[in-house]
Amino acid sequence: MVPAEWYLILAAAVFCIGVFGLLTRQNALLFLMSVELMLNAANINLAAFSYYWGNVTGQTFGLFVMALAAAEVAVGIGIILVLYRNFSAVDVTDATTMRW
Amino acid sequence: MAAFDYAPAIVLLPFVSFLVSLGAALYGDDVLPKGGALAGIVATAGSLILSLWVFFTVSAGNVYNQTIYTWTTGAGAAGEEALELTFGLLLDPLSSMMLIIVSLVALLVHVFSLGYMNDEGETGLPRYYAGLGLFSASMLGFVVAHNILMAFMFFELVGLCSFLLIGFWFREPGPPSAAKKAFLVTRFGDYFFLVGVVAIFATFGTGRFAGAESFPVLAEEVLAGEVAVNTFGFAPTTWFTVVGLLVLGGVIGKSAQFPLHTWLPDAMEGPTPVSALIHAATMVAAGVYLVARMYGFYAVSPTALAVIALVGGFTALVAATMGVVKREIKQVLAYSTISQYGYMMLALGAGGYVAATFHLLTHAFFKALLFLGAGSVIIAMHHNENMWDMGGLKDRMPVTYWTFLSGSLALAGIIPFAGFWSKDEVLYEALVHGLGTDGGLGTIFLVAYAFGLLAVFFTGFYTFRMVFLTFHGDARTGQARDPEGVGWNVKGPLAVLGVLAAVTGFVNMTPVADLFDLDIEYLHRWLEGPEGVEFMSALSAHHYLELLESDVTGIHAAELDPLIPGGVSLLLALAGVGLAYALYGRGEPEEYTAKLGGVQDLLYNNYYQDEYQVAIAERVVLPLSRAADKFDQSGVDGVVNGVSSVSLFSGSRVRRVQTGLVSNYAALVTLGLTVLLVAFGIYGGWLL
Repeated sequence: MVPAEWYLILAAAVFCIGVFGLLTRQNALLFLMSVELMLNAANINLAAFSYYWGNVTGQTFGLFVMALAAAEVAVGIGIILVLYRNFSAVDVTDATTMRW
Repeated sequence: MAAFDYAPAIVLLPFVSFLVSLGAALYGDDVLPKGGALAGIVATAGSLILSLWVFFTVSAGNVYNQTIYTWTTGAGAAGEEALELTFGLLLDPLSSMMLIIVSLVALLVHVFSLGYMNDEGETGLPRYYAGLGLFSASMLGFVVAHNILMAFMFFELVGLCSFLLIGFWFREPGPPSAAKKAFLVTRFGDYFFLVGVVAIFATFGTGRFAGAESFPVLAEEVLAGEVAVNTFGFAPTTWFTVVGLLVLGGVIGKSAQFPLHTWLPDAMEGPTPVSALIHAATMVAAGVYLVARMYGFYAVSPTALAVIALVGGFTALVAATMGVVKREIKQVLAYSTISQYGYMMLALGAGGYVAATFHLLTHAFFKALLFLGAGSVIIAMHHNENMWDMGGLKDRMPVTYWTFLSGSLALAGIIPFAGFWSKDEVLYEALVHGLGTDGGLGTIFLVAYAFGLLAVFFTGFYTFRMVFLTFHGDARTGQARDPEGVGWNVKGPLAVLGVLAAVTGFVNMTPVADLFDLDIEYLHRWLEGPEGVEFMSALSAHHYLELLESDVTGIHAAELDPLIPGGVSLLLALAGVGLAYALYGRGEPEEYTAKLGGVQDLLYNNYYQDEYQVAIAERVVLPLSRAADKFDQSGVDGVVNGVSSVSLFSGSRVRRVQTGLVSNYAALVTLGLTVLLVAFGIYGGWLL
């Protein structure tokens, strides 16, 4: 059996890639993808601990998170469409008209 | 008593006429016949009839002191009665006498207005009669008030009405400014009055004039050590004097006493019937009446009495000297009014309660007469008031002349006209109390008496200077040669008042009574009030005399034959009249007063009192207000603005954090999370 630490390290790595994408990208679609990565990192943790403890609650939660991620993408895509309609681009640094 | 049930109507009838005229004024001039005059005449006639009924009921030995309407009741502290603010009537000899004076003069003024306003083709008459109606109603309400707060409210209403009526011809430049001046100057005095009213309620918990729980009675009991009231840390005598002087501020403003008399001569800008009403029966009389109404309170404060006497005597003299040089007939009368009310104040201060009331009564009639007579002359002269353009009107308007002469003899104080008896009694009271009282108080009374006595000479002079210039000698202008005729509505009121000015003095001929040992001092007896009514004992002239002679006040009368002082004042008055005759009585009079040079200028400009009051306002009050404004703008507002500018500045900097870049927000969230994790790590001991 693969020790739990490996799963945790994998999850942390995926999460950090997601955070890095969030901080460095300007494209809204890439934002959305980064967020998906972070959510999946959490999912890996849930599944790993579920397996580790022999308890299905964590896996059930993983299903919930997937449903949530789908919903989040639906909303996110909607936001990106509006963003494109207003600024003719999907660059998040353009949408600064409501600052201050 | 049926009369007392109808007594509120005395006040309400003129008020209804005010509402009727007001309604008419909103719909134009010619809705009502005679511009609303008839409503006013009917209403004041009704008031007069009811007042007479009340008078006869009072003379049958009934008095009335009831609350009619309680408009608010406060929550009383433990063990104390709740403070009540009420409207109610006090009908006793003093107020029932005053009711007749006010309603009679108001009625005659309404009738006279038919001749002075309607026949002269004035416009805006409903507005005029609405003002007259409200004026009469407020004064009548003031007279019957049974507590000082109600009195104060009607006192203010009287002031408002005088403002409206003095400024009746508001399209000309003079009247509005005169109205404003009258309003502001009297209001200045009324501030003190208002503070005094609050002080009375705070001290005694009641503002009632009469009854066991009234403030004059309570003050008396406090000084006798029977009850205790909150005197705010002062000795009771001191505190009562302070309160009395505060109320006196309103009196000095309304009764045009020095130094707040400056509004009254300017008030001559109003229509002449209004002047008659203001000077004889309403506005100016209100102040003196208020002192008489609460005389029990003043009678226990020798300091307040001394102030009243001194102010009164001084005003009587100063105003009389100013009347000597005036050119306009109404100006002379204005200064005579100030002077005569000075006499009343002198009498009240010197312990002559009956004398003051007597002079109030006779003065109301002869001054109303003189103003209406002057109005008649002004009609005849086509609204030229300068006496130097008149002359010789005696033969051309005999009714006006003879009635005016009756009033002038009364004003000058020539026996047997009304003014002689009352003025003589005023001076006699001042003299005997001055001689009989020890110490500084007696001296003050004697000084005030000397002022008053000297004023008698000036009064005789300016009165007959006016009569001779107006009616005697040769006509000096074409208008005086062919004056316009006046109708019955002018002559009627003049005739009624002319008779009254001649005979009113007979109600209280003290010297004659003493000389022949007769019991004819009817006014004295009237003001004693009916026997056997509980609250009247504290309102009777007899009781006031007891208070004055008590140890608290210590005013005593010396034994003195009334003939000698009476003779002296009569001689002085005759000397004044004689001088006026010698200078102005014949043919073509010269302007002798011009020879006075600088003195004439000084007197003609009223001792430059307007100027010094304006100077005080401009040099003292204005810089003070500016300094206060500056302190407010820079000091108080500076602190507030300083505090807010810190927030403003820091806000304007901190808000830069909100860049609108979603990446920055994400970075901040990540940073925050990292900081939090590190902090927890250090705190929880996982790291390090």
